[in-house]
Amino acid sequence: MRELTTAPHKKKRVVSPIRTAPMDYTFLVLVLVILTIGLIMLFSASYAYAYYYMNQNSFHFISRQLMFAVLGVAAMIVISFIDYRILRKFAWPLYGLALVLLVIVLFLPEINYVHRWINLGFTTFQPSELAKLALVVLYAHLITQNYDKMKTFRYGIVPFAVILGSFALLLVLEPHLSATVLLCCIAAVMLIAGGINMKWFTLAGASAVGLLAVVALIPGVIPYAASRLSYWLDPFSDPLGKGFQTIQSLYAIGSGGVMGAGIGQSRQKYLYLPEPHNDFIFAVVCEELGFVGATCIIILFALLVWRGFHIAMKCKDRFGCMLALGLITQVGVQVILNIAVVTNTIPNTGISLPFFSYGGTALVMLLAQMGVILSVSRQSSVEKE
Amino acid sequence: MAQAPAAKMKFRIKVLMTLMMVIGFGVLIGRLFYLQVVTGDFYRQRAVDQQMVSTTVDAKRGTIYDRNMQPLAQSATVSKAILSPAQVKEEQVDLIADSLSEILDVDRQTIVDKCANKDRYYEVVKTKVEQPQADEITRLIEEEGISGVYMEEDVKRYYPYGNFASTVLGFTNSDNVGAYGIEAYYNKTLSGTPGVVVTAKNSVGLDMPFSYQQMYEPQDGGSLVLTIDEVIQHFVEKHLETGVVEHDVRNRAVGIVMDVQTGEVLAMATKPDFDPNDPYTLLDENKIAQLEEMTEGSEEYNQFLQEAQFEQWRNKAISDPYEPGSVFKIVTASGALESKTVSLNSTFYCSGSIQVANRKISCWKAGGHGAQNFADIIKNSCNPGFITVGQMEGPDIFYEYFDNFGLTELTGIDLPGEAESIYHSLSEFKAHDPSVELASSSFGQTFKVTPIQMITAASAAVNGGRLMQPYVVGQVLDADGNVVKTTEPTVKRQVISQETSKQMALLLEKVVTEGSGSRAAIPGYRIGGKTGTSEKIDQQENGTTTEYVLSFMGFAPVDDPQVAVLVLLDEPQLNNGYGSTIAAPIVGAILNDILPYLGIEPEYTAEQAADQEVQVPYLVNYTPHDAQSVLTGLGLKTRIMGEGGLVLKQIPGAAEKIPSGGTVILYTDEASAAALTEVPAVTGLNPEQANRMLLNSGFTLQIVSEDVEAQGTVAVSQEPAAGDLAEPGSVVTVTFAQRPEDTGQTAGESETSQTEQQTGQ
Repeated sequence: MRELTTAPHKKKRVVSPIRTAPMDYTFLVLVLVILTIGLIMLFSASYAYAYYYMNQNSFHFISRQLMFAVLGVAAMIVISFIDYRILRKFAWPLYGLALVLLVIVLFLPEINYVHRWINLGFTTFQPSELAKLALVVLYAHLITQNYDKMKTFRYGIVPFAVILGSFALLLVLEPHLSATVLLCCIAAVMLIAGGINMKWFTLAGASAVGLLAVVALIPGVIPYAASRLSYWLDPFSDPLGKGFQTIQSLYAIGSGGVMGAGIGQSRQKYLYLPEPHNDFIFAVVCEELGFVGATCIIILFALLVWRGFHIAMKCKDRFGCMLALGLITQVGVQVILNIAVVTNTIPNTGISLPFFSYGGTALVMLLAQMGVILSVSRQSSVEKE
Repeated sequence: MAQAPAAKMKFRIKVLMTLMMVIGFGVLIGRLFYLQVVTGDFYRQRAVDQQMVSTTVDAKRGTIYDRNMQPLAQSATVSKAILSPAQVKEEQVDLIADSLSEILDVDRQTIVDKCANKDRYYEVVKTKVEQPQADEITRLIEEEGISGVYMEEDVKRYYPYGNFASTVLGFTNSDNVGAYGIEAYYNKTLSGTPGVVVTAKNSVGLDMPFSYQQMYEPQDGGSLVLTIDEVIQHFVEKHLETGVVEHDVRNRAVGIVMDVQTGEVLAMATKPDFDPNDPYTLLDENKIAQLEEMTEGSEEYNQFLQEAQFEQWRNKAISDPYEPGSVFKIVTASGALESKTVSLNSTFYCSGSIQVANRKISCWKAGGHGAQNFADIIKNSCNPGFITVGQMEGPDIFYEYFDNFGLTELTGIDLPGEAESIYHSLSEFKAHDPSVELASSSFGQTFKVTPIQMITAASAAVNGGRLMQPYVVGQVLDADGNVVKTTEPTVKRQVISQETSKQMALLLEKVVTEGSGSRAAIPGYRIGGKTGTSEKIDQQENGTTTEYVLSFMGFAPVDDPQVAVLVLLDEPQLNNGYGSTIAAPIVGAILNDILPYLGIEPEYTAEQAADQEVQVPYLVNYTPHDAQSVLTGLGLKTRIMGEGGLVLKQIPGAAEKIPSGGTVILYTDEASAAALTEVPAVTGLNPEQANRMLLNSGFTLQIVSEDVEAQGTVAVSQEPAAGDLAEPGSVVTVTFAQRPEDTGQTAGESETSQTEQQTGQ
């Protein structure tokens, strides 16, 4: 932060990609703290499940996740030293690659009845993760390029609608509703910040909500949407079927009480809560750490998001601003949606908790994106307001 | 070149950030607060419910005692052999199958098959394994290092007397739940509350790594003290079993002994019955023989076996209504006397048959009984006489007493499976006049009551007129043996007056002393009773031969009725069988055993005293106490003379016959053997008093008399004379004669005077 007070003559050199400025350590520390807590909780949540289902190897999940975490942190540090503006060159190729992979995944064998994963042999990879990055980068690029014309329909609406629409269509076909919702949220935040005409946005937003309501309420448009809604409103209507995961999650959360059972003391993770190391890891967190611990973790996430927005606002150029904004929005919205699902605040949909849920490639990509934000933070730090 | 973000862009970012913080994270924290703090207990409780697995610990089943605390049914801890196929090593299968099949007597192939179910963890090989076998298996497991076989605790119900009171006791099924009889009726009391062990389990049922265990101790079951007396029950069963064999009874026999005053059931038996230790094995020889002719495993075989099992479990005394026949005349007679329809002086005429509407109903005595008074028709069990009584009563009065004597309702005995009676309704009686239904009902045919209803009604007729509620459980004890409940006798209602009841007892005594029930008589006791021989009319239509139910209801003593005994034999295979010839002697034999046991002393008339002779055993060289116990067993008194350790001489000598209750004098030294005793004076005493006085002095009475039975007989002379010295134990000959001015002053005459009064009316 000392660098903020550097000499005024350096102001002229802001356009030059000089890497002498340090990154935002607050953000870095927050990322590392959350990642550490996430790894500890992953071990706690997964060892019983791993013991019973992974040949009595309690370390099955944590050992793999640790490996990817180390890899991811390394990638984050390396990327933080790379000028993020290089991404502008890859904006369209990334979009193209994501589209191709999203099409390919539809023709690959189903895993858990959906086409979401590409099996790379040593790990699996979700093209939707790449799609999120591609969307953020391309939106940031286009907003920067056409900022002055953002109010027009042609430049301010059409390209963004096409990009989002193409992704959304392919994701719905997988089907992957949560990723679609996440993309829409990221797109909305970036467009609002990017200066979209609120008249258009309101119109598009209203029609999107209307469309969503129609498909959700008319039976058969989205398979199981109506029943999914009813199990959301009353999970106990099918306690051993559709409502099972939600009920077990609520049991875990409620069991935590104010202070929690203590770390490692969850009972619900003993095969009651399905896949406690994945999307529902936060339920185990709530059971073991209680309301106090869970709130602390939510506050940590909130601080991270706040710091991300801070970095975005402090950025000296629009591309960096939009890039950081899009990436941190992805993290924030994903956290909010995940916890909302786990607490049955919204209907159950598959969405993982950043830094906590098991998933190697997703963690590496997430940390790489944090590296991009850190890279942006280096630029913001040299700017003087 | 890049431009810095515009102010508008920053403003919009700030707005978006605020929205995300408030709507996103803020709402989530609020939601968590609601779930964890506000409603946390609800979810925690449900989570605990699913995580905790409770295992029940059996409570010890209570004991069933007889009225003198003899255990009739008790539980003991045994073992259960369990196989866990998943843990059985392949190379040990043969060893396990060989040893278990041999020790437990289980089919070897069954064990091999169970071992093959590798995904199973719990297969019961055998339940209720006795301790020696369980120990043997445990030792084998240790020695051979067998895995996958273990013993669990199990409970076994023991009935120490085997097939004894079994239709009353019932039995427990393999889950230790009462399936029949008292075991079923009092199952809740006996079984107690099982304990629970709560442990934390994961969703696949394995223990969680943290320790959590909570134990709720089982509450052992209470015990029951029955009104049944093991000794009386034993006598009843012994005589009933003999009767079943003697008379080839085809449809089982029933015996009930009831305390007339309280309604307590002292004994209740149905024969043939079963062994509650092994309730599925048939004990009825006839059924076994029939079963052996069928192909084992065939449908016919299985059905027959099942029906036979159900039949042998049935408590015929309460579950099978029968036509009571003449025993029911007790009810008709009581009602007629109480309602003053008849008096003891009423006269009846029996020509051998009676015409009722278009039916001619015959008396059992072909020629008829001729002219009779009321006592005669009871004594003779005269059907036309009772038809007349019924007609004199009319439908209303007849039905009123039928109803009041409890024959239209359940007795309410505390046993499961009490059957309802089947009878003509009042409107059926009234439908025709004269009514054939009323006529046949008045002598006990064309309706059915249960044996327990019949004996309860008959008891009411002689106990002072109170209809009691019969019961078999006198006390309920808790697991520590404290009395928690005592059953008090319940009077349902006063059916007839005390006076009528007294008259009925005396009338029924005449049945035994002079009439059809003479074969139930026991010297020294005043017995009353009524015979019954009923045709199974409802079976007549399908069968060619008529089957009978022979029964006898007896009670004693007549002057203070204490016990009633009802015996009925269903379908004895005999020609010319009557209740009087077959059932009465069985009741007599039962009473002969149980009256002394109940402490009711015989009171012999002089004639009876003379009849009751006992052969004196050879007692020389016995110790005086051994000799005394032998004599007491024979009903003789003992007087020991001298101070020696062995009997040297006895008077009377061995093989001599002396009256029951007489004294045998034992000399234990030379000096005493020479002593003489003074003969008491007996002149002026009646025979009984004379006998008592001589016995007490160590002499034996020899009666010389023409008519000792007659009233007012007194001793007029004796030899040797009073005051003479005689050898103790020697005979004193007394001559009795009529005393002219006799009015029955002496105590010994009271019983005969009552009889006199009766015949006089």
